[in-house]
Amino acid sequence: MANYSQLGFQDASSPIMEELIEFHDHALMVALAICSLVLYLLALMLSGKLSSSTVDAQEIELVWTILPAIVLIMLALPSLQILYMMDEIDEPDLTLKAIGHQWYWSYEYTDLKDLTFDSYMTPTTDLPLGHYRLLEVDHRVIVPMESSVRVIVTADDVLHSWAVPSLGVKTDAIPGRLNQTSFVASRPGIFYGQCSEICGANHSYMPIVVESAPLPYFESWSSLLSS
Amino acid sequence: MRRLLARRMKFHLLGAFLVSVGCATLYKFGIAEPRKRAYAEFYKSYDPMKDFEAMKAAGVLECAPPK
Repeated sequence: MANYSQLGFQDASSPIMEELIEFHDHALMVALAICSLVLYLLALMLSGKLSSSTVDAQEIELVWTILPAIVLIMLALPSLQILYMMDEIDEPDLTLKAIGHQWYWSYEYTDLKDLTFDSYMTPTTDLPLGHYRLLEVDHRVIVPMESSVRVIVTADDVLHSWAVPSLGVKTDAIPGRLNQTSFVASRPGIFYGQCSEICGANHSYMPIVVESAPLPYFESWSSLLSS
Repeated sequence: MRRLLARRMKFHLLGAFLVSVGCATLYKFGIAEPRKRAYAEFYKSYDPMKDFEAMKAAGVLECAPPK
């Protein structure tokens, strides 16, 4: 989860999120280059060191058309590469359904013996010591680590969005529609997220908690809950 | 004063280009590359089972409560 003063992304817990962070660094570097160029030229103009009464200059027109085109291509290529990488879903090890309701999530693991449960936020009054306020839930989404997990996201009533930043996942939950996303949890741990589409009074109080564990522990948890 | 504007513009346009490339290079080698290295170093010697056992012992996992 994010710290209170955090500006940057949370540490990546999936390969896609690592790629996204790298791309963000690349895009920010390009933005920094452009902004510093503009600031420098602005400072020059404001201090009167750069002025011109030129009306026609074909060479510089060519330069400031070609250069931005190159910059845009430099941004577009890695962006499209990651976009297509995110859409690759081949043979997931597990499929689970996340259904948004007002104001909780329910999960269905139909690969296993019809495992279904609701996931409500733990109220602050019931929060054990050391747990995170407004982020903990009563039943977490347990997934096996280092396995491809496909999540089918939908909603029961209004728009919601299933988001877990450190896994690089955000998918809108739309009533009457099934949206698909996938992730691989690179390591064991607990990953927090929150509903990311305004859905009413308690929109801020329906968090998502994904817990990734080695396969034997996932299997024992699922058989315990299915029985 | 002859060709002052042309000289000054050439100088400053080059300067602006160098400043912008310099900022980008500083960001790349000051932040982006160290971050990539940090991730690579982390996963080089990462033992997921050891990490998992530590979390289990701390009692923070729902699927693996401490006995």
